[in-house]
Amino acid sequence: MVEYLEFQIGKFIFKVATDRLYSDEGMWVKIGKRHVEVGITDYLQQRNGDVAFAEVKPTGTLVKLGDELVVIETIKVNISLSSPVSGKVVEVNSSMETSPEVINQDPYGAGWLVKIDLGGGDDGLMNLLSPQEYLEKTRHEAEQEVK
Amino acid sequence: MTDIIQKPKVVIVPCSGIGKTYGTVSREAAYNITEDLRPENTRLVALSKLVLGEEEARSVVANHPAITIDGCKLACATKMVQESGGCVARDYAVLDVYRRYKQFKPQGIAELNEGGEKLAQALADEIALAVDELTSEQGEIENG
Repeated sequence: MVEYLEFQIGKFIFKVATDRLYSDEGMWVKIGKRHVEVGITDYLQQRNGDVAFAEVKPTGTLVKLGDELVVIETIKVNISLSSPVSGKVVEVNSSMETSPEVINQDPYGAGWLVKIDLGGGDDGLMNLLSPQEYLEKTRHEAEQEVK
Repeated sequence: MTDIIQKPKVVIVPCSGIGKTYGTVSREAAYNITEDLRPENTRLVALSKLVLGEEEARSVVANHPAITIDGCKLACATKMVQESGGCVARDYAVLDVYRRYKQFKPQGIAELNEGGEKLAQALADEIALAVDELTSEQGEIENG
């Protein structure tokens, strides 16, 4: 079962899953045996509102760290998110086509975006933040915004 | 003897979100239905009147089937109709409709862009069909 760190700003509670790593931008990376799973954080989904569409790079795409991986359109904004790792997209969550709201409903579970096979070499994992580091970063960001 | 058959009415309750594009789409769709598409069979009730507990609005909602149009997942229109003793016959969420009409991207608040106007029209067209279904069901019940 996934465990979470949490912080609260006003009435909003933000969760950070402890079993994965994070990019500055708000993507999470869960390391598996054969590939990594990538999604967006609870903080990012709550900040940007209900997801209308999520366009993810298709299976087979080679992505480098920093390449655009997904474009998400919400009721508030359009955001382009870059890949937190380098590798090859081996699976795209089919829910992104039919029910992208799953990102809002379950960002750390059923709302995953893609699975990526790391290419070896500098795959970008070393640049990612620990759950505690990501929590501190986003808490600071959120506190600055409400001041 | 001539029977005067009063056409049954369906109440339309849109989101009241001011300053939100999706709220504006919901209200624009509601105006399209109640003023242009099905003026004979529908009646617009402002959500704010239900929130304030206005007697007439509560009574109208309690005595007619309602179609709610929500601008966000808080679903205030649907919740307020239920809390006012009404029956939500159909509920629509603007975001769900937008997912079906991706080409109509809504923008603007006081005034919708062309995409927003078209989305409101598409939503209104769908709701008009629902009004037809509800009124024919009601008519069948009332006429035995």
